[in-house]
Amino acid sequence: MKSFIKIITVVSLIATLVSCTGEKRERQIQYMGDTDMYDAVPYEAYSKVKILPNEMEAQRPVAGTVARGKIPYDYPNSEAGYQLAKDSLHSPLQLTKANLDQGKYLFDMYCAICHGTKGDGQGTLVQREKFLGVPNYKDREITEGSIYHVIMYGRNMMGSHASQLEAKERWQVVQYVEHLRNELLK
Amino acid sequence: MKSVLQHTKIQRFILSSLSFILLFTVHLSAQNGDAKKGKGIFNANCAACHKLDKKLIGPALEGISEKRTKEWLHAWIKDNNALRASGDADAIAIYEEFNKMPMTPFPQLSDQDIDDILAYTDNKPEAKPQSGGGASSAAALGIDSLQVVKGKKIFNANCAACHKLDGKLIGPALRNVADRRTADWLKAWIKDNNAFRASGDADAIAVYEENNKMPMTAFPQLSDEDIKAIIAFTSHEDILTAKAPTVAGGGEGNDGIATPKESTSWMTYIVLVVILLLVLWVYLGSKNEFLKLVTTIALLLGAGYAGYAWMMSIGVDQGYKPIQPIAFSHKIHAGDNKIDCQYCHSNAKHSKLSGIPSVNVCMNCHKSISEYNGPVTSEKDKAFYDGEIQKIYKAIGWDSEKLAYIEGYKQKPIQWKRIHNLPDFAYYNHSQHVTVAGLKCQTCHGPVEEMDEVYQYSELTMGWCLDCHKKTDLKLESNEYYTKIHEELSKKYGVEKATVAEMGGRECGKCHY
Ligand code: HEC
Ligand code: HEC
Ligand code: HEC
Ligand code: HEC
Ligand code: HEC
Ligand code: HEC
Repeated sequence: MKSFIKIITVVSLIATLVSCTGEKRERQIQYMGDTDMYDAVPYEAYSKVKILPNEMEAQRPVAGTVARGKIPYDYPNSEAGYQLAKDSLHSPLQLTKANLDQGKYLFDMYCAICHGTKGDGQGTLVQREKFLGVPNYKDREITEGSIYHVIMYGRNMMGSHASQLEAKERWQVVQYVEHLRNELLK
Repeated sequence: MKSVLQHTKIQRFILSSLSFILLFTVHLSAQNGDAKKGKGIFNANCAACHKLDKKLIGPALEGISEKRTKEWLHAWIKDNNALRASGDADAIAIYEEFNKMPMTPFPQLSDQDIDDILAYTDNKPEAKPQSGGGASSAAALGIDSLQVVKGKKIFNANCAACHKLDGKLIGPALRNVADRRTADWLKAWIKDNNAFRASGDADAIAVYEENNKMPMTAFPQLSDEDIKAIIAFTSHEDILTAKAPTVAGGGEGNDGIATPKESTSWMTYIVLVVILLLVLWVYLGSKNEFLKLVTTIALLLGAGYAGYAWMMSIGVDQGYKPIQPIAFSHKIHAGDNKIDCQYCHSNAKHSKLSGIPSVNVCMNCHKSISEYNGPVTSEKDKAFYDGEIQKIYKAIGWDSEKLAYIEGYKQKPIQWKRIHNLPDFAYYNHSQHVTVAGLKCQTCHGPVEEMDEVYQYSELTMGWCLDCHKKTDLKLESNEYYTKIHEELSKKYGVEKATVAEMGGRECGKCHY
């Protein structure tokens, strides 16, 4: 009998030990976890909200409204819109060093992965043959308007980058792309 | 006797690899020779809209010169608008067929460039079967893929610190080193390069001089078999990439990190079990009362410590690593492919939250990347990763055959599990730390670019926040906002620099209100 108890103890102790490793897939318990000091009363960003469409907290602005500080972009997402922007859209920003520097910072973050830091179409993804067909800027007839339009809507296999950049930042990137293109054309 | 045998084996091996290379060159030269250049031009100019075997934005181009004449193709590629305007029926038909989607004209391509492209589209085998065919012919020639796998292991363990296959590291690149050196030379060099140089071998001295007399470690411990395996690896590494799934499936875990970790945790188990048995023996088997007393005190202290540690961990989720709905790997995206953190977490620069990218951001790349071709392991093979990418398409309603969003699709949000989460009573803002202070994400989140699955690296306790605020100096220069505050602060504390805490980063109200 005694040895039976011994065996049980040893086995159960080993079992407990083994069961406590591994990856931490659950959260720790929280002190006063259910009070609203810990969990927000208002909806948290990206949280699930039953009553909203698609049960998402993150919703698009209501159609026809313009959020504060945003400037609507009226050129349509079509070939005609592209041509129109190419010919008639101009940058509101002045060419300054500060704008160019910020443009470079943002370009290296958002575009260089495909277009390469020099704009020659040799970004990391291209060199690793993951994403192909990125043009060298010097081979394209592009203007500030068309570059802005392409950031807004994308073009062919390039997607829109409007959600990652604000209006002013897009223009700074445009300025830097033009600068790169001029360097490449030299 | 043995060394002679060895010798002939090596010779046979070299011969076979030579014939393999020869075979391959013959194979290539049969393809007009320019297909390789054509591939480069194709990838740079056409691949955005064309694939060889599948419709993309434009039609598939494999074997196109069987369908059209050469002159037509030249005219079309150089300026398809002009060709259409000239009234060519084929040109107009294909334009209509593709919903009048205009193709970019390429006046900058020379006739030679276009011929190269056509050589490539006619001989598509160049790219893929190079490895596939390589593998089978390598097998036919008796090159054992297991040997290559073994060579890779030895190479990674001994040589990778100083050598890469492509590109110089500390020592020269070693891909196909067997092409420039004989097997005997390599054996002598690897076993003891100092002695070999001392013996007066001209090549050995030359390579030493070329590399600024950087000494290479001697490896007398490597057997001839090992060295053969290394050479097989340097010459036939491509078999591995071609047949990776089967190789990994063969039980060769190339996941070098996982194994030692597991064995250490088993070591702790064994130690713990031994201690347990000792304790049990003390209570149940021993008659020594003093020993029992000491053990009891030790156990009580241990229990107290464990209880304290457990209570201190309440609400601290360090190490938390939930299972995410898509096995999205930061190692593959931010590590291997070097995508900037803020490409996806683009809110960090302006807002409190860093944000999790919405699916349209994923689609910027995954419209084109519908398959995974990177390195795989035995648990996670290509089919697994491809399935994970399909989950993105299911969420947003993307038809990867037609390459278009499905109309009227009911999109489903991807429900990522949030990992880092401060309690609601603490205010933390990313833009203040990332944009204003210029901190790297990794200071707080750890080496995310090495994590397959993200986990919480830091404690995120109040002590952790304050520690950093006490230690870190403000970045005062080139920030107009700080000019006045800086003056006041340096007057108050009589120092040039000020820490975050001195500016007020320890006041309760800054984070709790
Ligand atoms: C995922 C890869 C990728 C990223 C990231 C990317 N691009 Fe592109 N880009 C492309 C591809 C592919 C094309 C070619 C599209 C085509 O076929 O016209 C392109 C084309 C362009 C063009 C030429 C379009 C024209 O009018 O002919 C411009 C300008 C451009 N990109 C700017 C940018 C800017 C600015 C960014 C950063 C905000 C950026 N790209 C980020 C892949 C990318
Ligand atoms: C401490 C760094 C270091 C390590 C480890 C190392 N090497 Fe080297 N290796 C070098 C350097 C440096 C050279 C250039 C010659 C010199 O200066 O010694 C070299 C040269 C060579 C060469 C001659 C290359 C040529 O172009 O002829 C071969 C072959 C070679 N190494 C194989 C290996 C192998 C196989 C291993 C693993 C078993 C290994 N090395 C490990 C540093 C290293
Ligand atoms: C290709 C897009 C992409 C890139 C690049 C990327 N991330 Fe993420 N990140 C995600 C997604 C999607 C998630 C949510 C899924 C998850 O937790 O794995 C995430 C989650 C995280 C989380 C956990 C968020 C939480 O719930 O608490 C952290 C921290 C993080 N990323 C940091 C980084 C850092 C640091 C880098 C740069 C080294 C980086 N990310 C690069 C897409 C990306
Ligand atoms: C800047 C380009 C880019 C973006 C943005 C991107 N990916 Fe990827 N993704 C890649 C590349 C490159 C690979 C590797 C493909 C290969 O090696 O063949 C990959 C592979 C994958 C894989 C398979 C490997 C793995 O990680 O499990 C999944 C799943 C995946 N991506 C999901 C996502 C999700 C979800 C998002 C959006 C949050 C996203 N990707 C955004 C470029 C991107
Ligand atoms: C000073 C430390 C610190 C730095 C630097 C930092 N983070 Fe965080 N991160 C945190 C803390 C703390 C939280 C939890 C915030 C909360 O719950 O309110 C967090 C949460 C997150 C989350 C999940 C919640 C959210 O905000 O969307 C993501 C994603 C994230 N960080 C990504 C990043 C990226 C990407 C960077 C670099 C650009 C970065 N972090 C830099 C401390 C930091
Ligand atoms: C790696 C270091 C580091 C960590 C960890 C850190 N911070 Fe900070 N924090 C800073 C720096 C640097 C600044 C100053 C930024 C500036 O120049 O305004 C700062 C500023 C702040 C400020 C503004 C202070 C003021 O006087 O305006 C708040 C609020 C803040 N942090 C909250 C937090 C919270 C909450 C945490 C923990 C979840 C945290 N920080 C963790 C480095 C850190």
